[in-house]
Amino acid sequence: MSGRPTPAFASERLTVRLGGRTVLHELDLTARRGELLALTGPNGSGKTTLLRSALGLVTPTRGEVRLLGEATRSLAIRERARRVAWMPQEEAAFENVPLFDYVLFGRYAHLPPFSGEGPADRAAAEAALREVGLWEQRYRGILEVSGGERQRVLLARAVAQDTPILLLDEPTAHLDIGHQLDLLERVRRFCRERDRCAIAALHDLNLAARYADRVAVLSRGRLVADGPPGEVLSEALLREVWGVVAELRRDPVSGLPYLLPRLPDRSAGAPAPRRTPPIHVVGGGGAAAPVLRALVEDGQRVTTGALPLFDTDLEVAEELGLPSASEVPFAPLGPQARQEHRALLDEAGTIVVAPFAVGPSNLANLEDLLGRAATVPVYLIETTPIATRDFTGGRATALRDRLVAEGARSVPDLPALRAALARRGDADR
Amino acid sequence: MGDASATEGSSRTDPRHRLGRRARWAILLVAGAGLLAGSAFVGPVAIPPGTVAGILLHEVSGGALAPHPCGSLPLASPACQGNIEIVWDVRLPALLLAVIAGAALGVSGATLQGVFRNPLADPYLLGLSSGAALGVAALFILRVGVAEANLVLPLLAFVGALGTGAIVLAAARRASRSVETLLLTGVAISNFLSAVMLVLVLANPIGSLQVTFWLLGGLGGATWARDGIAFGGALVAGGVLSLYGRELNLLQLGPDVAQSLGLPAARVRSRLLLLASLATAMAVAFTGVIGFVGLVSPHIVRRVLGGDYRVVLPASAFVGGVFLLVANDLALIALPTSELPVGIVTAFAGAPFFLALLYRRRRAAGEAAA
Repeated sequence: MSGRPTPAFASERLTVRLGGRTVLHELDLTARRGELLALTGPNGSGKTTLLRSALGLVTPTRGEVRLLGEATRSLAIRERARRVAWMPQEEAAFENVPLFDYVLFGRYAHLPPFSGEGPADRAAAEAALREVGLWEQRYRGILEVSGGERQRVLLARAVAQDTPILLLDEPTAHLDIGHQLDLLERVRRFCRERDRCAIAALHDLNLAARYADRVAVLSRGRLVADGPPGEVLSEALLREVWGVVAELRRDPVSGLPYLLPRLPDRSAGAPAPRRTPPIHVVGGGGAAAPVLRALVEDGQRVTTGALPLFDTDLEVAEELGLPSASEVPFAPLGPQARQEHRALLDEAGTIVVAPFAVGPSNLANLEDLLGRAATVPVYLIETTPIATRDFTGGRATALRDRLVAEGARSVPDLPALRAALARRGDADR
Repeated sequence: MGDASATEGSSRTDPRHRLGRRARWAILLVAGAGLLAGSAFVGPVAIPPGTVAGILLHEVSGGALAPHPCGSLPLASPACQGNIEIVWDVRLPALLLAVIAGAALGVSGATLQGVFRNPLADPYLLGLSSGAALGVAALFILRVGVAEANLVLPLLAFVGALGTGAIVLAAARRASRSVETLLLTGVAISNFLSAVMLVLVLANPIGSLQVTFWLLGGLGGATWARDGIAFGGALVAGGVLSLYGRELNLLQLGPDVAQSLGLPAARVRSRLLLLASLATAMAVAFTGVIGFVGLVSPHIVRRVLGGDYRVVLPASAFVGGVFLLVANDLALIALPTSELPVGIVTAFAGAPFFLALLYRRRRAAGEAAA
């Protein structure tokens, strides 16, 4: 190690256990300045946990992450924020803060206690907003801008934070293809021109191959590959890590590899991944979102429905790429949505009912569950009792009681559900 | 919250909207002082307006202006002295206490809403006020003399509010971001504390009359000395809190993001809760439990001025003070002869407001789900 410069980012034998599960296992990974490292791997492989460990938001069980040579845990929170900036996958905004002020939040770690932002901070925020092309819109509120603009604002805030290390968690998750390319292009340029170290968790392997200087592949908390995209990405790796059959081609212009996934061809006897029946989650209004995320994180196949378009749960399902049944908003579930929903229910190996508010228009979601507890396990997550979420004058409560009488199990919260599913999973094996 | 503030929110940085901020504050403060003086004309004892004005001028100027405040009555006459006592030693302390307590509750409510990222948080609904009142009730068991009571009351109230705040914070950490869970925890704690208070009342019948006063909430106990103590404590709490506007803004992004930006979120939240407890205690110690001021005031501010906590904190103090002052005036105008506790008036105004907020949220959630 001596003689070589200290890497900007280094995880050293990093082990993280969360809720009894080893999420990261003895992970050694470094990144240097001027480099864009793409962190990739299937859902639940530990990408986000690695980033959160670096930020000090997750406490490692063993090992640590070093930022410019010093362990995150030994740094004061303010000093951490001067070394590493974070662009979270999503961020709840409640107040309609003007974009300029939103970017100015990034300067907090540079402010002396109890004093306001000075000219230098304003200049940094201005430069960052110009960099993402939003300076002209600086007085608009964060709640008024599009998803793509919002991601750029988050990037600008991280840039204004002026740290040597930049962590990006699925920065392109909510963006269309044009904005994905634009954002990653900006990040890469930022790394090179300003000599910063950026680590981006990316689902999309083609984006990773196109923009990253290096690709690190995580699988079940272990580093399984690390190197330039051309060396790392291979058909074998895809099959092994993702269970996907794809063809690796080379872009004739850039020489970079890109992947062309093939549809599963059952007759060819391709080694398809082990297919357990999916878990179907019934929800609405955001009640199912944490459940969907958690189950996907646990590596489960998940479906959801029936949800109105623009429903938070549906958006999350789409973001996670889950099959779902949907209906136009503010209307009772129509025959087609119900049919789609029933088809998903028929296919499900387990049914989970999130604590959603039941109104006349989505009561059918509960009705369609009747009689199913006899064949598949049905879990009711009852963080809040049904009576408080029943806007149908007691019909939802009566349905819920019937489901329980039929054998549906009530669990108090999401961790309890995960525990119940894990117990059953172990029993199956 | 931020829906109506599309253009107002920009006032933070847009220089076009920035001019005259001090002027606006000055106008508001003058209007508030006028309202305060005007409120001195209202009360169960009918005193001619000219006499009230004369007494105010006389006392404020130390006798230099309006040497004969009671008109034809000589200054030394018992009738005139009685009027002076009513206006200057009964009405004015009560009005000032209304302003101080209202401001303390307003700033406390704004802080709690920010700390818990919950628009329905309020020192009354979260049980902080009940905790403070229980602290006060303990006084009647300890039987501290009246001389020390002025200092011991706020101290006990602070201990009670802080203890409750710690429980609520622990509950909020477990329940993460559920609005309802936090409120229900507060309601449960509140009810529990009220039950403990009733036990104290039953165990000590002599103190029960006083305890009832603290349960209902009113301004009848105001004196200049108590005003001074409440003002001092509220000023400390409010002054320090108003330095935390930027931190509260960051906390709205969630504790993880706030920490990634350099804010020690857990520590700052505890500190803010401590200060909100102090502000609440200063109000409750001398007025008893007055509900909904802390809920309503920040919402009015956000509607008009946007959600920047650097503005919301001081402005909520102002609105809270005015709110309680007006509530007191209304109580006196509605039932001039029976001293209607001001806490009942704020409940009449605040409870429907709270329900409207709650149901608007629920309806939005229900529609999204349906």
